Amino acid sequence: MLPAPAPVAAPAPAPAPAEIVLTVANVSKAFGTNQVLRNFSLDVRRGENVVVLGKSGAGKSVLIKCIIGLMPVDAGTIRVLGQDVATLDHTALDQLRAKVGFLFQSNALYDSMTVRENLLFPLRRHWLTHSPGEEDELVRQALEDVGLGHTIDMMPAELSGGMRKRIALARTLILQPDIILYDEPTTGLDPVTAREIDQLIREVQQKYGTSSVIISHDMNCVRLTANRVALLVEGRCYALGTYAELKASTDPAIHEFFSE
Amino acid sequence: MPQRPASTYFRLGLFVLVGLGCLVAVLFMLGRKQNLFGSSLEVQADFRNVSGLLTGNNVRLGGISVGTVKDIRIVNDSTVRVGLSLDRAVQPYVKKNAIASIGTDGLVGNTIINLKAVPTPAPAIESGDVLRTTAPLALDAMLGTLNVSNKNLVGITKDLREITHKLNSSDAFWQLLSDQRLALEMHRSLQNLAAATALLQGSATDMQQLTHGLRQGRGPAGYLLTDTAFAGRMRHATRQLASTSDTLAHTLAGLKRQIQTPNGPLNTLLADTAMGRNLRQSLRNVELGTAGFSQNMDALKHNFLLRGYFRKQARKDKTRTAAP
Amino acid sequence: MATSTTVAETGAITRFAGRFFQEGFRPRYEVQELLHQCFVVGYQSLPLVGITGFIMGMVLTLQSRPTMAQFGAESWIPTMVGLTIIREMGPIITALIFAGKIGSSIGAELGSMRVTEQIDAMEVSGTNPFKYLVATRVLATTLMLPVLTILSDAIGLFASFLAINLKGVTSLALFTNNVVSALTFGDVVPAVIKTFFFGFAVGIIGCYKGYYAEKGTEGVGQAANSAVVASSLVIFILDLLAVQTTGLLGLN
Repeated sequence: MLPAPAPVAAPAPAPAPAEIVLTVANVSKAFGTNQVLRNFSLDVRRGENVVVLGKSGAGKSVLIKCIIGLMPVDAGTIRVLGQDVATLDHTALDQLRAKVGFLFQSNALYDSMTVRENLLFPLRRHWLTHSPGEEDELVRQALEDVGLGHTIDMMPAELSGGMRKRIALARTLILQPDIILYDEPTTGLDPVTAREIDQLIREVQQKYGTSSVIISHDMNCVRLTANRVALLVEGRCYALGTYAELKASTDPAIHEFFSE
Repeated sequence: MPQRPASTYFRLGLFVLVGLGCLVAVLFMLGRKQNLFGSSLEVQADFRNVSGLLTGNNVRLGGISVGTVKDIRIVNDSTVRVGLSLDRAVQPYVKKNAIASIGTDGLVGNTIINLKAVPTPAPAIESGDVLRTTAPLALDAMLGTLNVSNKNLVGITKDLREITHKLNSSDAFWQLLSDQRLALEMHRSLQNLAAATALLQGSATDMQQLTHGLRQGRGPAGYLLTDTAFAGRMRHATRQLASTSDTLAHTLAGLKRQIQTPNGPLNTLLADTAMGRNLRQSLRNVELGTAGFSQNMDALKHNFLLRGYFRKQARKDKTRTAAP
Repeated sequence: MATSTTVAETGAITRFAGRFFQEGFRPRYEVQELLHQCFVVGYQSLPLVGITGFIMGMVLTLQSRPTMAQFGAESWIPTMVGLTIIREMGPIITALIFAGKIGSSIGAELGSMRVTEQIDAMEVSGTNPFKYLVATRVLATTLMLPVLTILSDAIGLFASFLAINLKGVTSLALFTNNVVSALTFGDVVPAVIKTFFFGFAVGIIGCYKGYYAEKGTEGVGQAANSAVVASSLVIFILDLLAVQTTGLLGLN
């Protein structure tokens, strides 16, 4: 049991009767004989942080890659902001993706570009036209949000792991998305940096009112960021509830995650 | 999106341009060699045998490539028509009567077509002309010639053998050859001949001197031959002379006739005073004629034959009087 | 098993190439990225390719001199070296060096982008990574290798000229005339055309290997290595095909 860090506040409560922005309904996905997702279902409401908790290799990353359309699903439907991802053509998918941010596990910063160019990349590639002044302002704003305004002309290789994670988050934020998908945001970071990232996720939620799906197996991250927790076990949504509810559960499969 | 400095594009552009430039340069050189770009002149030549000529082989004039073989096609069983593409620039140098022949470039090189000029003048070649050709120097043709030569040689040697045989069997010939006196006389004749030629040479020298002087305009004859104005006057004089002598001859003829007639001049002369007066008149005429003739001759002398002489004489006199 | 893997791989690369022709020429056109790749692939390879070409020309000349001298054919050296470089040595040596430098770098770059999810990141950033990464690189290698080959030929011929002048004297004009005298369009044009195919092979194989790199840093190394091996082999096969094709077309 970890001692509760005193200054960290509990996640902000989600407004109760909010509209549903993301629906995952009965999704199945298999790689060869390995059935990763089996009839997985999940709803995410506006302004809500949902953490998908599961073991490594349980198919958590596959889930959010299906949501953003990087992988096709075998069965079931995924509706993002009211649109069925599977039926969209290239253009419509790109338009949708401009409203959905994705924070990659390995950050996926472009090695050959400076921080500024990394941030400008999605901005320009999404056919969003801004004057150079506006672009500069947006880049500066996004970097301020993650507290790294001074790194604007550095190359990703010059940055530490935590800084890179923040830059990657800034690159996601610059489009001011409605939904952000976090793929294991705290994995590979030291505990202090990990807490800073958790803090940042919550700040983003409060400042921009975004909905988030956070993939994680880091219990501190779960505790600090989740409004609701979905437990992914053997490809199914095994349990769904607040951190406190699940922690209080006596189900051994659930308890396994919460006992340290 | 990464920002690229403008110099990147500049260097890339330079790189590509230089590369393409090299390619274009080579292609251009090849094109010029194969006459693809320059304006060309199409002419034809019919051969019996082209000895393995290929399209693209060179056409040479005086050893310089002036074009290429454009196409080769068989017209009938003994004629191959070769289309030549000549450089427009050499048009003035290739005449209509030029002769095309098949040759090789070196001993084992490519087959080529040689254009040979003919000394007789002809207009420059034009598009579509058909050139005359000569048969190539083929080995079988050479062997054929050699065969004829051999046959001739056989005849010649046979004749030669007969001649030598005859010579051997002829006593007179050998006597002639072995006669001592003959040699001696021959020697003398030759000596005489030498003397004669020496004399001849002397005369020739004189002659040469004479003609030399003549050429220089020296001496009366020389003057005669060189002065053109004089020639005119001479002509005039001789004409006068001729007319005078004509008159004389006429008169004399009349005289003779009068003497020969029955009422001949004699009695007339004796009996008739009028006749005598007539005769006198005639004689005066004769006198006048001869006076004119003499005058003419004088003028002739003054004019040419003796003028130079007189002058020389006058100069000599002057120097003689001045000397003492 | 090894054979069937090779066949399967060949099929996959062919499909990859098919996708290139399907997607590569549709809008949106990544002109800026294409130009940048041309710069990287072409201009920045020039020093390496130039040095190779220079040495090739010089060595060919110096090596052939003793033999040619035996036949009293020293005046034929420029012609022979020119034909050798332009017809075969220039294209093949340049392509192999190019495969070593560019094939491996494309394999490694795309491989590392794959394993660090940069390719996915591009896709969610409204960019078709196939067009942005693959099409531009394949086009760049296809267009730049011919240019590099021509420059390498030119440098090699110049080196040959220098090498001849080491042991004798010839003028640049005579050298050029000697080289050009034996050349025909049938020598130059097929040699240039086949370099387009070499360039395409290097690009498409490098991109394929990198684009489908396995997870992990080991996958990146493997992608780079196998890209070089496969593209070198394919270059030789294409060269053989080129010889046969030009022979059939009567250009030899």
